[in-house]
Amino acid sequence: MIRLEGIAKSFDRAVLTDVNLFVPDQCLFGLIGPGASGKSLLLRMITGLMRPDRGRVTVAGRDVLTLGDLELSEFRKGIGMLFQNNALFDFMTVGENIAFPLRRLFQLDEAEIAARVAERLGRVDLPGFEGRLPAGLSGGQKKRVGVARATIARAPIVLYDEPAAGLDPVTSQKIFDLLRAEQRAAGATVIMVSSDLDRLLTVTDRVGMMLDGRLIFEGTTEEARNASDPRVHQFVHGAVDGPL
Amino acid sequence: MQVETGTRSQPHPLSASVARFLSVVGGLGVLLSEILRRAVRRDFDRAELLRNLYRMGLKSLPIVTVTALFTGGIMVIQAAPIVQRYGAQGLLGWGAGFGTLREIAPLLTALMINGRVGANNTAELGTMTVTEQVDALRALAIDPVAFLVTPRFLSIVITLFLSTIFSDALALLGAAYAGAGFLGVDPGVFYRGLTTGLLGFGDVAHGLAKSIVFGCVIGLSSCHFGLATSGGAPGVGRSVNATVVASAAGVFVLDYLLSFALS
Repeated sequence: MIRLEGIAKSFDRAVLTDVNLFVPDQCLFGLIGPGASGKSLLLRMITGLMRPDRGRVTVAGRDVLTLGDLELSEFRKGIGMLFQNNALFDFMTVGENIAFPLRRLFQLDEAEIAARVAERLGRVDLPGFEGRLPAGLSGGQKKRVGVARATIARAPIVLYDEPAAGLDPVTSQKIFDLLRAEQRAAGATVIMVSSDLDRLLTVTDRVGMMLDGRLIFEGTTEEARNASDPRVHQFVHGAVDGPL
Repeated sequence: MQVETGTRSQPHPLSASVARFLSVVGGLGVLLSEILRRAVRRDFDRAELLRNLYRMGLKSLPIVTVTALFTGGIMVIQAAPIVQRYGAQGLLGWGAGFGTLREIAPLLTALMINGRVGANNTAELGTMTVTEQVDALRALAIDPVAFLVTPRFLSIVITLFLSTIFSDALALLGAAYAGAGFLGVDPGVFYRGLTTGLLGFGDVAHGLAKSIVFGCVIGLSSCHFGLATSGGAPGVGRSVNATVVASAAGVFVLDYLLSFALS
């Protein structure tokens, strides 16, 4: 369970204002909204990478803002995260990038790590890419390696920031289907930020929409499709005319 | 009724500069304490330390070699008129050794390592910061100071210390052969000038102590400015510039102070 209460954050201007969000266990939650509406910021607050000015962040029953460094480190072992820019480590090969969380956080033998890396690469359609360097990959391939790294530790909570950005429509749908299958198999709680609404909404259980730092809608995927709020309706249906 | 003019919130440029300076000094202090804590507890990544020692230390050898050999030669060329005028060939070894071991080798090696390793370290850490790789480490429950920063800091300190020893030897070799070539001073006479008692282990230790302090300055400032990078590729450029300038200035200021303290 992930719960955000009264979250506010300002830099030179307010970027999040009184955000209240609840994501139940084992839910695949889609977070949508125009650029710079605060979606990625919320993901960073859930992992404790950024602190809000006000409010409370509760993840799996733990108040994230009260955790010390060691507790926060332990807490993050239960979270997988894909960053918007993939954040692959340049100086490591693809195989080392994907194996990194397993090598650092779990006591597994190298044979098991290699098998799990190969299995992950197969799932994201990059078999045999273990020895390649991130610099030699296309944008879409980097994204898929990022997905493999975020899911290899089978964390109970996984956060995806634009998991399909830069991918062609077919690969994009494959990735969303893969992430959905992973989420169901692991019983994970997932928050997915994506601009690819056509595909995102085929896999989500619930959807929230951010606009100008506020959560203006929260409901089931079906409710999002039929929302009466003209802003949500326009955004979900990609209409040009409307209040946005 | 009081009217907000909007100008009251603008800080004076001087106070903004002072605030920025204090913020950098504070950041350096905090980072140093974090690094030392992990170094003392041996809570850092050994594999990263070895990887950095190889690419920072071993790969710096060519540039250190060239710098040291020519520095020794230059010192002899500068001393040549005086040596010839007073027939002081016997003191050439002492003169070259005194300046090289106590001052020139640690200082020039530090400046070379600053340009090659410090700048590169800032560029790498800065790029990792702006591409969220440092945040990704945190999200993966890995402490970036233990994994990235402490090994790099220690590598720079060790690299500069060992490079200075190497530089001392090569600069003296360069000086000996330049002395033979330009002044006709036999290398044996040069060697006796080095070892007949005017120079001691204290002179070597003086330079090596400086190299450790210079290594700390370069390691700390290159890691700090790298991690403090913001603003994409231009931000990385600014951070590299800040590292090179701050480290060089720090090296010269501390060299001055250490020369007093260790004399």
